[in-house]
Formats: sequence, structure tokens, C-alpha cells
Amino acid sequence: MWTFGRKIAAGFTLAFLLLTVIGAVAYRSINSLTTTSRSVTHTHEVLEQISEMLSLLKDAETGQRGYIITGDDSFLEPYRNAVDTMPKVVEKLRSLTSDNPSQQKRLEEATPLIQAKLAKLQQGIDLRRKGDLMQATRIIVGGTGKKIMDDLRALAARMEHEERELLGKRAEEVDLAAGGAQKTIIYGTLLCLMFITAAGLLITRSLSSQIGLAVKHVQSSSVELQATANQQASGARESSTAMNEITTTISELLATSRQIAESAQRVAHIAEETAQAARSGDQTVQMAHESVSAIKRHVDLIVTHMLDLGKKSQQIGGILEIINELAEQTNILAINATIEAAGAGDAGKRFAVVADEIRKLADRVGGSTKDIRTLIEEIRAAVNTTVMATEGGTKAVDLGARQFAEVTTSLKQITSLLKTTTEAAREIELSTKQQSRAVEQVNVAISDVARATRETEAGLSQTLQTATQLTGLSRDLTLLIQPTASA
Amino acid sequence: MSNISTLDNVAAGLRDTFDRSYTLPPASAGIEQTENLLVIRMAGDPYALRVGEISGLTNNNQIVPLPGRTPELLGIAGIRGGLISVYSLAALLGYPREPNQGRWLALCGNENRVGLAFGNLEGYLRIAAPQVFAARQEDAVRGHVKEVAHTANQVLAIVNIPLVMEMIASRCGEKSTSSEKP
Repeated sequence: MWTFGRKIAAGFTLAFLLLTVIGAVAYRSINSLTTTSRSVTHTHEVLEQISEMLSLLKDAETGQRGYIITGDDSFLEPYRNAVDTMPKVVEKLRSLTSDNPSQQKRLEEATPLIQAKLAKLQQGIDLRRKGDLMQATRIIVGGTGKKIMDDLRALAARMEHEERELLGKRAEEVDLAAGGAQKTIIYGTLLCLMFITAAGLLITRSLSSQIGLAVKHVQSSSVELQATANQQASGARESSTAMNEITTTISELLATSRQIAESAQRVAHIAEETAQAARSGDQTVQMAHESVSAIKRHVDLIVTHMLDLGKKSQQIGGILEIINELAEQTNILAINATIEAAGAGDAGKRFAVVADEIRKLADRVGGSTKDIRTLIEEIRAAVNTTVMATEGGTKAVDLGARQFAEVTTSLKQITSLLKTTTEAAREIELSTKQQSRAVEQVNVAISDVARATRETEAGLSQTLQTATQLTGLSRDLTLLIQPTASA
Repeated sequence: MSNISTLDNVAAGLRDTFDRSYTLPPASAGIEQTENLLVIRMAGDPYALRVGEISGLTNNNQIVPLPGRTPELLGIAGIRGGLISVYSLAALLGYPREPNQGRWLALCGNENRVGLAFGNLEGYLRIAAPQVFAARQEDAVRGHVKEVAHTANQVLAIVNIPLVMEMIASRCGEKSTSSEKP
């Protein structure tokens, strides 16, 4: 979207360009007119010099004839003047017609005729001065001078005719140049006026619409600003009330902070006493831990002995198996001995008795080994139970030792934590004191803020008035730009 | 502690009994009037073997199985430098095979000795001859039981070893005959 400045600058730039073009064309036309006018003037000068040349010849002839008739030198004055001036006139004519070869050629033809004419006139004068009037008159009447004069007149007439033709052409060129300049000035001026009018209308219409739109925006914004200022004024009043409440609360908070500082001081003192008690407890627990370690060593020794006892009872069981097997084999041997004794008849009867006793003995040994095995199994079961109970005790002692270690660790941690707690309580005390000071500063700051809020409230009332005025100004500006939009 | 004192008493009793056996005169008067029996148990049933009908008793022998169509034949075993055939006594009596049935071997016969295997030996029993009775019809269901022995708390079927040996011999004869026929 183009800004106002760009639009106005574009309009002026186009107008400037148009005026520049029109000025350039007019300058060119006037320059051409001037050049053509100079040519016309030049032609008039040539015509004037031609007339001057003929006039000088006439003056010279008139003076010569007067002198011849009267013999008075005073009649020779025109003649002398013509003789003196003629070279200058001829030279000027040559200079003026230097750009025209045909005129130069005619001038070349005329120059000897002029000299011849002046020579004839001088001859007559010389004769009259010698007193030979007749001879001098005869020269005049003879017609030679007239013929030369006629030739010169004819040449002058051709030169004049050509100059007249050039004059006509240059007059036409002057007319054409003057007409072009007039047309350029008239039409260019009209075109420029039309363009400036159109640009003015367009810019005016565009600016009116844009400014009108902007003014409407300003008007709506000022209305919104008015509403916002109203809300802010209301908010500022509420803030002022809240600040008063905050001031009261902070005063209470200040009193509470002081109480907390005192409590933190008491906590630090109690934590220090607790740390001393924890250190004492740590020593007690350390001694108990050493006692539990001694119990653990003894229990381990008991377990070792009980395991040895279990192993030895197992070894006894193995030996008992051997005894049982021996008893079984003895029984078999006794049975076989009985069988052999029976086969031996009477000779084997006493042997049969012994074998029978051995068998009985083996039977009773076998029974006894069963009893012993039962006893050993009971002992092994008791040992296993004892070992398990002892292991349970060992585990309990281990657990107790670990718990003592944990208790020791916990007491150390408690001591450390109590130290930390003491430091933290002191830091809390210091922090709370700092906090109290900070709260006092906050209280002061809040009072300042409350005062600033009241000032803000006053300022917002001023803003509200300004917004109302801005709304009115916007409406007035709208009426100025778009009178029909007042409705 | 009471068990240990009991064991001490048992040991003392054993020692006295053994020593007394050398001090007392031989009780030869009653030998002919007693029956010496080995009490065994097969498939839960109590049986007895006459000591006089066997030639020996061994245990824990290595029995090498043999291929064949006789289910009662467990295999062969090396006894005192010789090889003997081992039969399952339970199988011969019509019981199904038992685990650990070859733990005990009762050696039978003189020239062609065989071993009758059984799994459980309960003990040696000496009873008076009058306590042995002829088996009733219901007790003699199995053909190799002809007598029973009455003890204080049970009745033992006495396996007739000669009949068992005859049965083994007859089966061996059938086999050899059947193997010769083709």
C-alpha cells in the first residue's frame, strides 16, 4: 500500500516530468524560431547591402555628372564617399553570402563591373578637370557607363530575387516554428493542467479514504482506550485496596517471621543437645556391637563343634553298619555251621550247640545294632536340630550384628544429620532474620506501590479524559474529511 | 542316657550268655525233638524253610542273568568256586517277581546244587516238633507246602524243598525234552 508521501511525490514527479518535457519541446521550438529569425535578418542585411551597393553607384554617377556639368568639386562629395565605401560594401556582401555559392559567383561577376563603372566615372572626372567638357560629356552620352550600370542592376536584381526567395522560405520556417511552439505550449499546458487535476483528484480521493479509515480506527481505538482506561481505573482502585490489605498481611508476616527466628534458635539449641546424646548412644551401641561379635564367634565355635559331632555320629553309623554286617555274616556263618553240624551227625552236635549260640549272639548283636542305629539317628537328628537352631542363632546374631551396624550407621547419620539440622536451624534463624528485614523492606515497597497505585489511578482518570477528548477529535476529523459520514 | 544304660545292660547280657554257653553242658537231649526253621517272607506272606533241607545260606551274591524261556530262572551265581543256577522261590511258588528278590540264596541239593533266591530273611526259628502239623487243604493251595508250623503269634507255611527241587528238575526235563524233539 502506498503511503501519503509516496502518492504525493509520485503526482509531483509526474507533473515535473510533464513540465520538463513541455519546456524542452518549447525551448526547442523557440530556438528553431530564433535561428530562423536570424536567417531572415541576415537576408534583410544582404538585401540592404545590395541596395546600398546600387545606391553608392548612383551617388557616384550623380556626383560625377554634377561635377562635369558644374565643374564644382563639391559635387564630387557623393562620388568620393561612394568610392571609399564601395569596397567595404562589396566585402560585407561577400562575407554575408559566404554560405551561398551562387551569390558569391554573382558578386564575382559584379566586382569588375563596379570597378569598370568607377573607372569610367573617374575618366569623365579627369577629363572635366582637364577642362575637356565635351569629351567628358561624350563619355556620358556614349552609353558605356549606362550599359555597365544596367548589367549591374540586372545582377543586383538576380541577387535580390534569390534573397527574396530565401526570405520567403525562411518566413515560412519562422511561421512553422512559431506555430509548433504555440501548439506545444498550448497543448502541453492543457495536458499538464488535465494531469495535475486528475492527479489531485485521485490523491485527494485516496487520501480522504485512507485518512478517513485511519480516523475511524483512531476513533474506535480511542473508544476502546476509553473503556480500557475505565477498567484500569477500576483495577487501580481494587489494586489500591488490595495493597492496603497486603500491607496489613505483611505486617502480620513480619511478626510471624520474628517468632520463627526465635523458634529456629530454640531448635538449633535442642539439635545440639540431641547430637551430644546421639554421640553417647553411638559409643554404647559400639560396645554392644563388640559384645554381639563375641557372641557370634562363640556361636560359630558351637556350630563347628556340633558339625564335628554330626560327622562323628555319621562315622559311628558307618562303623555300626559294619558291625551289623558282621553280625549278619556271623548269623549266616552260624546257620551254615548249624547246617554243616547237622550233616556231620553226632560228631557235630556240640559244634551245633556252639554254632547256635553264635547265631543267637549274632541275632542279639543285630538287634542291638538296630537299637544303636536308632539312638545314633536320634543323636544325629538332635545334632541336626541343634545345628539348625545354632545356625538360626548365628543368623540371628548376624542379623543383630548387622542391625547393630545399621544402628551405628544410623546413629552416625543421626549425628551428622543433627549437625546438619543444627546448621540448618542456624541458617533458618539467620534467613528468617534476613527475611524479617526483607519483609520490612517489602512493607515499605508495598506502601510505595500503594502510593504509586493511587497516583496511577489519578493518571488513569487523566487518561480517560484524554481518551474522551481523542474520541471527540476523531469525530471532528471525520467530519472534516467526510462530511457526509457524520450520520 | 537311659538308652545308653540299656545298651550297657544288653552288652552285659550278651557277654554272659556267650560265656555261659561254654560253661553249660550240651543240650543234646532235646535236639531230635525240635525243628530248625528259617523264617522268610515272600509277597508279604510268611514262610519257613527247614534248615536240614538246605545245604547252605548266602547273601548279596552277584547273579548273572541268562537268556531263556524259564521265567523262574534268575541266572547263575558263583558260590565257593562253582557255578549254580539261581531260581526265584517266589516265582516257583506262583508269586510275581519282587524287587531285591536275589538278596538271599538258600543252597539246595548236593550234586546238582541250585540256589533258591528270596528277598527277606526274618530270622532263625527253633520250635518243638509237635508244633509242626500237616497242612490243611486251604493251606496246601500251593503244591509245595505240606506242613505248617505254629508259633506263638503266627502260622508259617513250610516250603517243601525236595518238592521244589523235583519241580525244577521236572521243568528242566521238559525243556530238555522239548529242545531235543525238533
